[in-house]
Amino acid sequence: MELFLSQILNGLAIGQVYALIALGFSLVFGVANIINFAQGALFMLGAFIAYSAIAWFELPLVAAAAVSVVIVAILGLLLERIALRPLIGAPYIAPFLSTLAISTIIDQSAEIIWSPESQPFPAALSNTTFFIGNAYITLTDLVIFAFGAAATVALTLFISFTWTGRALRATAQDSAAAAQLGIRTEAMRQIAFGLAGALGALSGILVALYFQSVFPQMGIPFGLKGFAAALLGGLASIPGAVVGGLLLGIGETLASAYVGDSYRDAIAFTLLLLMLLVKPNGLLGSKRLDALGGAGAAAGAMPTTSLLASSSSQQTAIRAVYLPAWGFLVVGIAFATVPLVLTSTYVLQALIYGFIFALLAVSTSLVSGSVGILSIGHAAFFGVGAYAVGILARPYGLSADATLLVAIALTALVAVVAAIPLLRLTGHTAALGTLAIGQIGFLVFLNWVSVTRGPMGILNIPHPVLEILGGARFATTAQKYWLVLGFVVIGLVIAERYVSSPIGRVWRAIREDRLAAQASGLPVKRYILLAFAISGALAGLAGGLFAYVQQVVSPESFTVETSILVLTMAVLGGLGNFTGAAVSGFALAILPEFLRGFAEWRMIIYGLLLLAALRVRPQGLLGAR
Amino acid sequence: MAVQGIVVENVSRVFGGLKAVDGVSLTLARGETVAIVGPNGAGKSTLVQLISGVDRADSGSIHVDGVRTDRLSSDRIARLGVGRSFQTSRVFPALTVWDSVLVGVQPGLIERPSGRLIDPVTESLGALLGLGFWRRRVKAQEAAAEAALKLFGDRLWPRRDQPALSLSYANRRRLEIARLLAAEPRYLLLDEPSAGMNPTETEELTHLILDLRRTHPQTGILVIEHKLSMVRRIADRVVVLNQGRVLIEDKPDHALDHPEVVEAYLGKPRTGASFQDAHHG
Ligand SMILES: Nc1ncnc2c1ncn2[C@@H]1O[C@H](COP(=O)(O)OP(=O)(O)O)[C@@H](O)[C@H]1O
Ligand SMILES: [Mg+2]
Repeated sequence: MELFLSQILNGLAIGQVYALIALGFSLVFGVANIINFAQGALFMLGAFIAYSAIAWFELPLVAAAAVSVVIVAILGLLLERIALRPLIGAPYIAPFLSTLAISTIIDQSAEIIWSPESQPFPAALSNTTFFIGNAYITLTDLVIFAFGAAATVALTLFISFTWTGRALRATAQDSAAAAQLGIRTEAMRQIAFGLAGALGALSGILVALYFQSVFPQMGIPFGLKGFAAALLGGLASIPGAVVGGLLLGIGETLASAYVGDSYRDAIAFTLLLLMLLVKPNGLLGSKRLDALGGAGAAAGAMPTTSLLASSSSQQTAIRAVYLPAWGFLVVGIAFATVPLVLTSTYVLQALIYGFIFALLAVSTSLVSGSVGILSIGHAAFFGVGAYAVGILARPYGLSADATLLVAIALTALVAVVAAIPLLRLTGHTAALGTLAIGQIGFLVFLNWVSVTRGPMGILNIPHPVLEILGGARFATTAQKYWLVLGFVVIGLVIAERYVSSPIGRVWRAIREDRLAAQASGLPVKRYILLAFAISGALAGLAGGLFAYVQQVVSPESFTVETSILVLTMAVLGGLGNFTGAAVSGFALAILPEFLRGFAEWRMIIYGLLLLAALRVRPQGLLGAR
Repeated sequence: MAVQGIVVENVSRVFGGLKAVDGVSLTLARGETVAIVGPNGAGKSTLVQLISGVDRADSGSIHVDGVRTDRLSSDRIARLGVGRSFQTSRVFPALTVWDSVLVGVQPGLIERPSGRLIDPVTESLGALLGLGFWRRRVKAQEAAAEAALKLFGDRLWPRRDQPALSLSYANRRRLEIARLLAAEPRYLLLDEPSAGMNPTETEELTHLILDLRRTHPQTGILVIEHKLSMVRRIADRVVVLNQGRVLIEDKPDHALDHPEVVEAYLGKPRTGASFQDAHHG
């Protein structure tokens, strides 16, 4: 019982922090109607700037915190100015992807500036513990809770009683009407982003105090939890965000106390998925969520649920350019001749990764583009395939036919199960659901040590042997090249056949207008699940091949970075356009091989590419389909 | 023998205190054309939402050919043969006109005669391998789609490769109706099909519906319409809705000239010449 109460107190402290992150989401969502994916990155920066102020300039904690909050608030303003303002009137998906790109750039820059390792955050407070009856709470927890609560109260007072606060609320309720009343809604957007930055920084510092460490990858998991808290509370309400944060904090702390600490995050993200499953509009309910991306235009002059549409209901009419299914076969045959003239293992190896990522990008494009459920979690499916091969190949001595078949079937199954909570979602919420799936996948690979061997990974995966080819063994790089190319071409041909068939047409209809598709008699959920099954199968195949090529499988290949990378490939190629996805997947995968020495700049370059593409050509290189 | 037709019994739908549909009962028999008229906000569209399963009734029951449908999902209801259009046409903007209509026939492609759906694996194999049985089904559906588009003369067929978003307002309405007709529904629910159409286009639409009545004598048509001159020409019966309730149900001339109806529409008793079209919203 004491443990239980102590856990609740502990949960209230961390929950208060989640509430602050959630408030950052809610403010921006309320005023600008977008989900700011970069909220987590601002949070992380807040923690690191405070860390540097203390560690490098020896400022006291309070001064360091103040500096950090001011700097990150300004960065929040800049974010709105650089990444979002130019995109007004662009497709619904553009602002979200834009903040995603910025987030990638910030995260990677942080790894360059502060190194990817975690740094100890100086414990500013003594380890005093207070007892309330038999339950205890540490001074740190108390301070975190007090600061978080004070910030929440201050924000509430600001919103309720100042002129600016009222103007913010008016803009959130009806931007057009507010503008009519002479409120400068653009300024309000900026203020919301500035405040979100300040809240992000403050919460980052509190988390750093709580865990006494900072690490550049902390933005995404905490950002996602903040989003979960905001969603729990209905996304557009301040009390909702606070209640959501506290509930999440308590739930997670209890779960980690009774289930195991390494499952802390996995539990939080599973809760998020369950929430999405039963109450997609949040506990307190918010119809406005429906209007996000997805159904945003559903009430417009030309109803659509497509993320590629924009508020002006106009989709930039770029004719998509793409190969028919046999075109992939022809290109594949051409590529098959390469090892005959080129013997450089280095080049062949690079091309092999190009093929694998082409397939993975197509798999992502299928759900993200054709069906319109943006996936930021495909690395998990890729990983399931890779682990299936890694686990089965040596101990059971299975041939590649068998292991790949298991990889394909298992990943398809996992993808279908993962898709169930997403069935009722559209737009940005669905995207964040997929992010949660990706995170859960990574955490399982990392923590299910008895099966995956955890961070160690699975080593010494044998060379593949194909029984259907009479036991042929693929040992040399050239042989593996042909093996991978063969399977990838088969995968691409099947994918293209699907998307050009009546089934692909139904997928696009679901993307364009889910309501009308269902009212036309189509079993929409079934078709979405089928799409996830196919996409999962393709990702599983890519993962299985990847395992054979690497001969090693370990969790760091399947991080959210990989998911963002393949999504970037799919967007750059033109969502739903498999030729585009394959080309950009191939190109972006081999690019870094020729940019050796710039390895750490890779994600930054991709982020910049994505930002540029969203401004210049949001429909992608070859046109969305 | 189950009762044929759509039977709506005592159906209500409340939106936060507002009774949008309040104890409405009505029937639509096969081969019959019923018009629903009434001022804006009377609950006409909501009624169509309830019958088509896009929205759920709070109470009451709806049967389609004897099958209770008020708890079924909208796709099931559509596959029972109920096709509906939306007040703001919904046409899958980025799909071409041809693809949009093919979406309408897709349910027929995957439905067995028993009403059960073909499983996704068979559907996938059929679609990917282009098997014979599948190709025959596809051909038949494509023929139905082509015929539906050609019902609109040269309005849609020459534009079949254009994306729906490039169509004019009136053409989007036509496309939506074509998509419904391609599926050969037993019942057709049209929500203000002539909204946004000029007099010539309205005349064309009137002829289309009259032709439909001739060529598809077994189809029941429920049409929400403000243009009363059109209603008088196409409808067998008129149901007047006001504030969620059925005000009157009668032959067009009786219903539309009823003093209460005129009052509901114009807010005062009719004086002088008989009015033709009510223009609301
Ligand atoms: N989804 C909804 N939520 C809240 N109110 C609604 C909704 N749909 C319709 N209403 C209200 O129900 C009433 C009837 O609307 P509707 O059926 O569209 O009328 P009509 O089609 O006859 O003009 C109106 O007052 C409308 O505002
Ligand atoms: Mg209406």
